[in-house]
Amino acid sequence: MPTVTFGEAIRQAYDEEMTRDKNVCLIGEDVGRWGSLYRSSRGLLEKFGPDQIKDTPISEAAIAGCGVGAAAMGMRPIVEIMYIDFISISMDQIVNHAAKWRQLSNGKVKLPMVFKTQGGAGRRNSSQHSQCLENWFVYVPGLITVMPSTPYDVKGLLKSAIRDDNPVVFIEHKSLYFDKGEVPEEEYLIPLGVADVKRVGEDLTIVATSWMVSFALKAAEQLQEEGISCEVIDPRTLWPLDKDTIIKSVRKTGRCMVVTEASAEGGWSGEVSSVVHEHCFSDLRSPVKRHCGMRTGIPYGPTLEMQCIPSAESIAGAARDLVAQEVTAAGAAL
Amino acid sequence: MDDLKKLYGEMLLLRHFDQQCMDLKKKDIIYSGYHPYEGQEGVAVGFCGALRGDDVLLSTHRPHCHAVAKGCTLEAVLTEMMGRVTGCSGGLGGAMQFLAPEDNFYCGSVVGSNVGLATGFAMAMKQNKTDSVCMCLFGDGASNHGTFHEGLNLAAIWNLPVVFVCENNQFAEAMPVEEFVSCERISARAKGYGLEEITVDANDVEEARRVAEEAIEKCRRGEGPVLIEAVTYRIKGHYVGDPEATYRDPKDVEAAREKEPLKRAKEKLLEAGVDEAELDAMQEAVVAKLARLETWALEQEFPTLEAAVDHVGIALENAPEVRGPQSLVL
Repeated sequence: MPTVTFGEAIRQAYDEEMTRDKNVCLIGEDVGRWGSLYRSSRGLLEKFGPDQIKDTPISEAAIAGCGVGAAAMGMRPIVEIMYIDFISISMDQIVNHAAKWRQLSNGKVKLPMVFKTQGGAGRRNSSQHSQCLENWFVYVPGLITVMPSTPYDVKGLLKSAIRDDNPVVFIEHKSLYFDKGEVPEEEYLIPLGVADVKRVGEDLTIVATSWMVSFALKAAEQLQEEGISCEVIDPRTLWPLDKDTIIKSVRKTGRCMVVTEASAEGGWSGEVSSVVHEHCFSDLRSPVKRHCGMRTGIPYGPTLEMQCIPSAESIAGAARDLVAQEVTAAGAAL
Repeated sequence: MDDLKKLYGEMLLLRHFDQQCMDLKKKDIIYSGYHPYEGQEGVAVGFCGALRGDDVLLSTHRPHCHAVAKGCTLEAVLTEMMGRVTGCSGGLGGAMQFLAPEDNFYCGSVVGSNVGLATGFAMAMKQNKTDSVCMCLFGDGASNHGTFHEGLNLAAIWNLPVVFVCENNQFAEAMPVEEFVSCERISARAKGYGLEEITVDANDVEEARRVAEEAIEKCRRGEGPVLIEAVTYRIKGHYVGDPEATYRDPKDVEAAREKEPLKRAKEKLLEAGVDEAELDAMQEAVVAKLARLETWALEQEFPTLEAAVDHVGIALENAPEVRGPQSLVL
């Protein structure tokens, strides 16, 4: 199986879907000539022309609205917002229109569109270019929120997102674009709303997203040597959430830790924790733990930046603490 | 004079329809904020009425007369405002936001957003090589919105077939336009996007229609977009029962009543020798039609809770959990 980068896997998804359906188009800042900030659409303007690859001005509200209007007319636009930090400018179109129109039309309007963006830390971009804002979209009914973690997943999920008739917020991680992984030559799709068990284990379930999946897997390797067996689950789609896969795993392991780069407060990690407590209370040997980024703007310098988000080492440390903790039937930690 | 008589008849229907809605609002049969349209009928009939069925109209939080002029049925529009299943949006949208894709009509209650949305409809039209156009109506207040400027620029650089119509009714809620717009004419902003500055007195319905047709034809020829400031006056408050005394002199409203589009059209028709009895008969017919409409509308059902969540929890293939109030999928 060929090994390709995360960015190349995205390019392949575009190429296949744009070849398959001329209604698929990419709209965004520098998606054409540049081939997108991380080159994930390189060469596509030459191949598909300006009807399918549209460079736009820096106008995140207009281009998001443009995508909604085009989707209502039957096109399948992918609106690229260069950094998730800039999606704040598009929020009216996403929240008040894209997320509402299927319901407001009583099902008569389909909105087959993708808001594709990238977030997260790791490239020394400081607090206005490094945020994790996925929680905003999980909260809005009418949206699907996807966060892929591998080249294989990003390709299969992006193709499904393009083919879905609902608005999908598709959030990549800027530190993953040059990661490599196996991607088959033959076509495949990964359904939205289905988690992937990235590693099978017995003692602890780690639910991790996006860049954090690779850190969780590294931590799991280290912990295995210490005799702690971790199951690592990547939900891939934050909402709708594949609760069944998580619940099944926690019923087996009796412990759960949620790892996100986004801070825990008011976030999706709390939602996962609640789901586990609601469904697995009697199976739990200790309360669900959240190991998440700090509630702060990402600082500039590399040392501080990486201290503000979980690492393989910090995940391993948090996992050790959790496994060491046992709880009585009454719920008091021993 | 037949053309003007027809336009007058359409405006007359909207005037009485608006009055009827206002009464229903006062009786709490229309629930939400209701934004009266009285005095602005020249815009709805002049502009919206100039569109073809395949053209798309994007309207505002004051949409009911635009919708009827575009071709939505009175039944669908009235019962939407009354929250009944027979409404455009099945009663889920209400008086400020509803979608009627079968009539190519869309509106929403966030000021300014539709300027962005219009670019997408028009982009698809252009790409599909049809000669359909998109008309985007918004108020004077929206011309200060960021999306207005982003959308105008995008439409202009892509030569999109959009007729942008700024329905200047002189007030953004309680703010008089001269206090919040930095230039004398909103249409002057067109120049900033390389477009022609066009202003029309929309209380002259014939002139409004002429300007609308010209703009629509221009867009059909691929020479869009066009921005037009359609000047009119909001005779009623922003909503039913707003504290009008805080922002305008009743004398201004009285002066505006002298220039409102129905009065002007009627005077012109009478001057041209049309029999007043004929116009009175038109009015009686409208009143009778709307009375029948209301009787029918009051009998229509309200939507169920299932309808409220149906299109939020859309089936996702392989999604592990779907439907039901416990597990709204999307």
